[in-house]
Order: sequence, then structure tokens, then C-alpha cells
Amino acid sequence: MNLSLDQVNIMPAPTWRWLGINSVPLKGSVPDFLPYSGEPLSALPEGVLISNGPFLGAEPETGMGGEAADFVKENSTYGLSLHVGPGVKVKKPISLNFLLDEKNPALADDIEVIADEGSEVTIVMSYHSAEELKGFHGGLTKLHAAKGAVIHLVQVQLLGSQCVHFDNIGAAAGKGASIDIIQAELGAGKVFSGIKTRLDGTGSNLDINTIYFGDGSRSIDMNYLAEHAGCKTKSEIHVGGALLDRSGKTFRGTINFLKGAKRSVGHESEFNLLFSPKVRCRTAPLILCSEEDVDGQHAAATGRIDAQRLFYLMSRGLSEMDAKKLLIEAQFRPVTDRIPDESLRAAVTDYVKVRLTKFEPVG
Amino acid sequence: MGKKKTVVQDIDRTIYDIKDKVNASYQVQEGLTPEIVEEISKKKNDPEWMREFRLKSLEIYNRMPMPQWGPSLDGLDMNQIITYIRPNTPMRGNWAQVPDDIKNTFERLGIPQAERKSLAGVGAQYDSEVVYHNVREEVRRQGVIYTDMESAVRDPVYGPMVKEHFMKLVPPTDHKFVALHGAVWSGGSFVYVPPHVKVSIPLQSYFRLNAPGAGQFEHTLIILGEEADLHFIEGCSAPKYNVANLHAGCVELYVAKNAHLRYSTIENWSKNMYNLNTKRALVEEGGTIEWVSGSFGSHVSYLYPMSILKGENSRMEFTGITFAGKGQNLDTGAKVVHAAPHTYSNINTKSISKDGGACTYRSSVVILPQAYGCRSSVNCESLMLDDRSRSDTIPVMDIRNDNVDVGHEAKIGRISDGAIFYLMSRGMSEEDARSMIVTGFAEPVAKELPVEYAVEMNNLIKLEMEGAIG
Repeated sequence: MNLSLDQVNIMPAPTWRWLGINSVPLKGSVPDFLPYSGEPLSALPEGVLISNGPFLGAEPETGMGGEAADFVKENSTYGLSLHVGPGVKVKKPISLNFLLDEKNPALADDIEVIADEGSEVTIVMSYHSAEELKGFHGGLTKLHAAKGAVIHLVQVQLLGSQCVHFDNIGAAAGKGASIDIIQAELGAGKVFSGIKTRLDGTGSNLDINTIYFGDGSRSIDMNYLAEHAGCKTKSEIHVGGALLDRSGKTFRGTINFLKGAKRSVGHESEFNLLFSPKVRCRTAPLILCSEEDVDGQHAAATGRIDAQRLFYLMSRGLSEMDAKKLLIEAQFRPVTDRIPDESLRAAVTDYVKVRLTKFEPVG
Repeated sequence: MGKKKTVVQDIDRTIYDIKDKVNASYQVQEGLTPEIVEEISKKKNDPEWMREFRLKSLEIYNRMPMPQWGPSLDGLDMNQIITYIRPNTPMRGNWAQVPDDIKNTFERLGIPQAERKSLAGVGAQYDSEVVYHNVREEVRRQGVIYTDMESAVRDPVYGPMVKEHFMKLVPPTDHKFVALHGAVWSGGSFVYVPPHVKVSIPLQSYFRLNAPGAGQFEHTLIILGEEADLHFIEGCSAPKYNVANLHAGCVELYVAKNAHLRYSTIENWSKNMYNLNTKRALVEEGGTIEWVSGSFGSHVSYLYPMSILKGENSRMEFTGITFAGKGQNLDTGAKVVHAAPHTYSNINTKSISKDGGACTYRSSVVILPQAYGCRSSVNCESLMLDDRSRSDTIPVMDIRNDNVDVGHEAKIGRISDGAIFYLMSRGMSEEDARSMIVTGFAEPVAKELPVEYAVEMNNLIKLEMEGAIG
């Protein structure tokens, strides 16, 4: 079927059109959508209720925008609402493992997580496919963290390079709530990712750590927004990755301090390692501010691997290529180490290693 | 006890707000039609190529959309703007010959005094025409040409040079208001510095818009030969009226191999002004462009000087400060394109928002595939002085090769309690501490300005402190 979204990942404050960064279209042909035939959900711990709809939570605004959210809702092949009761602290992570294959070449998953007051839950979502599969994944994830609740969301995407993938997240945090998102956008040929979090409650927190990996002709397009509405809210957004070959990445990151978000703090950083003269790395780090009593900071660094670090490793006997591979893996480690599922963590490490075997210098 | 806020006074505009009686020798009707453009061209005795250029620019203007990304331009009705208004005097080379009312205006602004003390040449524009232009004899003897644009266009020697460069760097297709400029431009300066000539003291052009509801569309074209050196200063002001005024000037700077140009601007238009100005520099091998930009006036500003680093090892530095008070929405910043290897750019900006004013820092750093070995550093800091104001930061970096070193830092916040506490623990009063912090915040820009402008800027940002930590 035809996928035709005119504008996704819309920057909240537009800039010059010639930069081509205000939004991006998402178009192409995708396999037909059929209900997902596997069972992606791991065993449920006590205190967590599930349903396949109707969804109870309000519809938060999402990072990729309404067009992408509506597309998933209209074509949903898998829907799940997870409801964690008041005060329930779920120790074991809840896993959702999706495998795209010939039976399930197109997945549109609509996931809702509602964490009631004082609860805590960890959701680990992963997407896999064979390298040669021409698949599609479009995801919509809605997170609601009530007063004092904590949601840890881990998303790992290891799809084959023929796949198109989008990941659209909307989140809302109540008083003292925390939302912690780890994203590993490592696979798929075309990747779109958006996260919008509204920090409504006083003292609510957002922590996003993302890694990306571009090689071949992959493209990665991200749009993250932290909207500070309540007092003493805090956001930390950190993105790191590597671009090889002819790959390209666009990152839009916005910290938006709304009026009334007194004593709020928003920090954002981005580190991009570049390994080929043919890569393209675009960054738009925005800070929007209509409140005086805040602290907003952004830092970005883009370039090659530091020559001194490379020299050090080579002086210890590594070839230049092996030293570079080691440093790419090191760039990912702070995020991959936080994946709670040991087998998934190992899968990510192996996946990166396999991809790096194809890494050759481009002159 | 309720918290008190730091009070930062509005910029004292007394000398800028004195209005002269409008005494035009000629002005066109409001609005914009081919007939008006033809009329301007005829009055200015344009060569045929310029007449055609104006009409073509008008066509482009009519078909281009309004910008969709910046502050609102709803208050600007082009049908109400007078695009050409000629003061009742020809251009003079001696202040004594300039009519008293106009001369007094420039006296109040300190232009003749500055010329005597510290400038190599001065151009003074009043509404649509340059009323005074003069350059020191020793600078003239170096072969430096500093004249009004109209004379340069018609000059048998420099006319062809103007034709070769005029709106080639900023073509009328760039955006709607530069197309407008191409159609109705009037006044401005032409500067040519021959190769190896170093002009040791600055040249200055001052633009004054006196008539209500008028537009000013001056064109500045500066061409530096190889290894030439120049500091050019631009100042602008206008009295405040209740109707919208428009400034859509255009600045084109050509910096040849190993040449060095510093372009300083203090913009202090009145708060009914729409300042939609376009500035661009093309820098050849080993050349340097330095922009120093202070934006204090205008109701709405769109101002982003652009540097195209075309030659290997060319450099740009941008230092800017923007101060937005009540009723102001100032969207400022810089653009740079690294088009050659081993080029370097450094952007350093500060902005202060108060009393409901809005500042936006907007920038782009583009590094093209062939531009390997480039370095770029961007640093922007914004200070919010109350919660009625607004401050946004919208930078973009587009990097298209791996052999680069690009860094970006942005900060938004208020005066830090910790810094106040530290200074107070050293014996300062809170008011003095605040004053020192805000002055220190603007210091990196002030130190780049010529000394008399730095003094003016410090006077512009007069601080009055009171009360407890806000």
C-alpha cells in the first residue's frame, strides 16, 4: 500500500526553507498491513493489566506529529495498553519483541503505557528482521506517568537495511514523575524517530539517551521535544552516533520552556563522529524560552575521531581501522550498557560488530 | 516580602527621536507599481541596464511569497510605504552647505564631530538620498574610492565595476524584500580599496530616515583588492512615528585574496521600523571578514549577515549583540557557507530580552563537501530579565564532509544567584553586582566596537538596579 505523509518531524519553530530541515516527508510503498501473527509480549508481572483497547489514556502530542500517529492508528496491526496499578513497582522488565518476516512484513504497533501514582515499570521494545527483508515498521508509543511514577522505556531497532522504520512517541509526566527513554536506532535503511514529552507536573523529569548508526546509504531523521510546563522540571537529552559511507542524519532537538516553568533546567547534547567525506550531518538544537527563571543549555560537537585517542590506540598495536571500530563501539557503550535484558544487550553488541566488519575507509 | 526584579531602563532615544519637518523636494506616491519604479529610475537618471534591473526585480517581488518563518510582518502594508523621498538638497562635500535642519540632525548624532576626530570618510544619507559625502585627502590619494552609489553607477570608470557586482552576490531572487530593494533602491555607498592599500582609520556611512511612512533602501557595495584592509562603520536611526516605516537595505562585500574587512553596524532604528536588511560577503583565499553587529532599535528585525568563504583559508568572525525591549521582536543572527578547504568561522552572540521584548538568535553553518579541514565554532548566550519577555535560539548546522571540527554552545537563562552571591561576598552591593554582570555579559561585543561606539553602547544599556534577588 501507499504511504504518503507530507510532513513529519516538524520543527516547533521553523527556520529558512532552503535548509530543508523544517520537516520531512515520509512517502513510499509499504507491504500490506495484516494483524501481527506472533506473540511479542513476555510474561506479565503481577500488578500490570493489559488490554488491546480501547485505550484509556489521553492522546499526548507526539514527536513525529499527528500525521504519523494517525497512520499507525488507522493501520494498526498490533495494539496494547499496559496499565500499572498505584504503587506497583515492577522489578522485571516487560519485553515486547517484534520480528518482521515474510508473514509479518509490515508492522504498525500502537502501544500505551499508563503508570499510576507511585508506580514504576520498565518496557523493553525491540524490532528485528533479516537483513534482506523489505519490511516496514511504524510505531506509536504513548506514555503516561502519573504523580511520582517512573517509566523506563528501552527501544532497540535492529531491522535490515531494506526496511523503513518510524518510531513516534508522545509522553506526559505528572508531579514528580520520571520518564527515561533509551533508544538505539541502529538498523533500517530509512529511520524516522520523534519524541515529544510534556513535563506538566512540578518536579517531573525526562531523560533521553539515543544512539544512532549510519552506514551505506542509510538516513536517520529525528525530532525530540521537551516541553517544560511545570515548575522545577528537568530534561536531559543526549544523542550520540556515527556516520559512515554515504549515510545521513538530521537531528532536531528542542527544549521549550513555557511560561510558568520556573526553576526548570533543560540540557541537551549531541556528539557526532564522522568517518567518510560523503556523509551529511544536520543538527538543529533549539531552545525556546518564555520564562526567565530557567537554565537551558545545548552543546554539540561534530567531527572526526580525536587524533590523540586514535594515536594512543594505534601505539598499543591496533590498526587504524580496528582502533576506529573500537571507538565507535565505545561511543555506543554508555547507552547499550543500560539495556536491561542481557540477551538483547548481547544482540545489539553482535549486531554492531557485524555491521562494523563492512566498515572500510572511503576516500 | 515580595521579590523585586532587576530593572533595566529602556534605551534613551531622545536624540534619535527628534523629528525634522518633512521638506522633500520630491516624493513618489505610496505603494509599488511599475510606474513608480520607472519614475524613481527616471528621477535618478539611471543607465538603461539599471532601469531594466529595477523592473525585473519588481516582477520578482510581486511573485515571491512573504517569509513564513520569522516575526509577524502583518503591520507592514506596502501600499502605505513611500519608497522614494528626496530631501530638498543635492549631495554636498562640505557640511556648511548642507541645509541647517538636516545638518543639525547629523550634528546631534555626532557625525561631523566623529568625522573630524576619528574617521577617514563619511557618507550621510537622509531619507532616500545621500546629502553629504566626503573622504580625507590622504585616503583619496591612496586610490580609495568612497562615494554615493548613484555617482558610482554613472561613473565612466567605476560604473562597469558596479554593473559587474551590483546584486550579483545578493540576487533579487533571494527573498521578497531583497527583490523590493532591487526595484526601488536609492542611496548608499560605493567603496573601492585598491590592492595592497590599507586604510588605517574607518570610513562611516550613517543612514537617517526622517519621513513618516517612508522606506529606506540604500545599497552598500564594498570591493577590496588583494591584501587591502578596511574598517567600515554603518549607523542607522530614525524618529518614532505611529505609522510603519521600512528599511530594506542591501550590503554586498567583496573581499579579495588576503584582504581584511571589518564591517561594524550600530542599528538604532525607531520602534515603528520594520528592519528587513540583507548583508552578504564573499571572501577569497586567505581573506577575512569580521562582522560586529549591535541591534537595539526597530519594531521587527530580520538581520543575518551571511559570509561565503569561497577561497581556501578564508575566515569569518561574527560578534553580535541584540537588545529587545517593549514592543520589539528582533530576529537576528548570522549565516556562513564554508565552500573551500581550511576555512574558519566563529560566531559569538549575546542577546538580552526585557519588558516583553522578544529576541531570536537564528543561524546556519553549512560546510560543503569540498570544504575539508574546516573549523567552525558557534556560541550564543541569551539573558532573560523578566518573565514577560521571550528568547529563542534556532541554530542549524549542515555538515557535508567528515574532515571538520564543528562546535556549538547555547545558553539561556537569568542572572545567576550564585554569581550575585559571590560578588556580594566580595563586598559589592547587589545593585552593583547585577550591573557588573549585565555589563560583563555585553563586554565581548563592546570590546570589538570602536571606542566611541562602545561608550555609546554602554550609555544605551543604562542599568538601574533595585531590590532583592528577583
